[in-house]
Amino acid sequence: MLTVESEKLIACPVCEAVNIDKERNNCCRRCGSKIYHHRNSPVEKSWAYLITAMVFYVPANIYPMMIIRQFGVETESTILGGIIHLWEYGDYPIALIILVASVFVPIVKFLLLIYLLVSARSPIGNDKRVDKHKLYFFTEVVGPWSMVDVFVVGILAALVHLSSVEIIAGTAATAFAASVFFTLMAAHAFDTKLIRGNR
Amino acid sequence: MKIGLKNEEELDNYIICHKCHTLHREVPIADGAKALCSYCGMVLYHRDSRIIDHGLALALSGLIFFILANTFPLIKIDLLGNESFISITSMVFSLADNGYYLVGLFVLYLIFIFPLMIFLIYLLIFSLMKMKRGRVLTKELLILLSHIQPWHMSDIFLVSILVAVVKLFGMAEIHLGVSFWTLIVFVLIDIYMTRTIHLGELWVLRKKVYQSEGKEVQHAHC
Repeated sequence: MLTVESEKLIACPVCEAVNIDKERNNCCRRCGSKIYHHRNSPVEKSWAYLITAMVFYVPANIYPMMIIRQFGVETESTILGGIIHLWEYGDYPIALIILVASVFVPIVKFLLLIYLLVSARSPIGNDKRVDKHKLYFFTEVVGPWSMVDVFVVGILAALVHLSSVEIIAGTAATAFAASVFFTLMAAHAFDTKLIRGNR
Repeated sequence: MKIGLKNEEELDNYIICHKCHTLHREVPIADGAKALCSYCGMVLYHRDSRIIDHGLALALSGLIFFILANTFPLIKIDLLGNESFISITSMVFSLADNGYYLVGLFVLYLIFIFPLMIFLIYLLIFSLMKMKRGRVLTKELLILLSHIQPWHMSDIFLVSILVAVVKLFGMAEIHLGVSFWTLIVFVLIDIYMTRTIHLGELWVLRKKVYQSEGKEVQHAHC
């Protein structure tokens, strides 16, 4: 017979099995995966990915995302420039989708992860009233949607490849894809145990 | 709250909500029903006595539609007599041709390799469980599945196609190809599958299927 505090039970991030937290070197009893082995530095891995993602987000906004070559004349547009352009042409729904996917989603995700990582160490204000599990779940669900812009540029570049008009992907596409990749990694590396006892 | 257990194995009767991390004790529910989290309302688990057959059917039809989606053209445009069309793979090659090797590779994984792998793994797991064989293999496959599942973005790609089509709407004449419709079906099957068959349920199912083979070998590094 053994008795456990329910606070001591953690879910395996890989197979969702309930495990008893042994403080260090946790290993799932069902699938054998290591459960956040980096306990001595619980937030550093996530910070590293997050900072890399934020660094990549800068060139993603400065360099052109898409280059349109029409009858020999090249027009470059950055992410924001493209959105403004779409808005002026009256394509409001598309402008909104791109705005949400490539501006709001990454920035909100950066801010939420920064908040979660900072408050894991030192609680900010009335921490207890914020449902951090919900915030983390939100970042997980919403994160991949920022890939929309990269996919769209890829489709347009592959499709519009004609003698009169040509669309070419810009440098920002690489930077943006890298930024999305590292934010996803940062969210995966985040140890949900850091926000336990939040409620 | 203190919980009394006979052994660690009994923890299988408990489940932690994926969204709000509330601990729940699993209760028996009617066939075809689902259990919701008492705190946030998220689906915890389903009960489906024929989950293996349903899973096999879904995995097989998903795979068929995925193959169809990759064999036909996706979109065709007609601009002043110039025609061009793309398929899912040709889009990746076009990115690589323009020197975007990294993005091309990343996109190739997100919309081709990972979705294909996920459905092949589902097919393999359910067939192995149906035959009650491959106890170790199903375990490795389930672990692999949970690692690649967050990286599969067919649904996001579908939305991107719509955005691209609307962007081109005034510029050229656009024809949606066969692939586009089959991709929609594939994404619907995929969404239905991830919503009705949770990974945790597959682990529970695996335990039930191979129960007669005795105790599981523990991991050396644990």
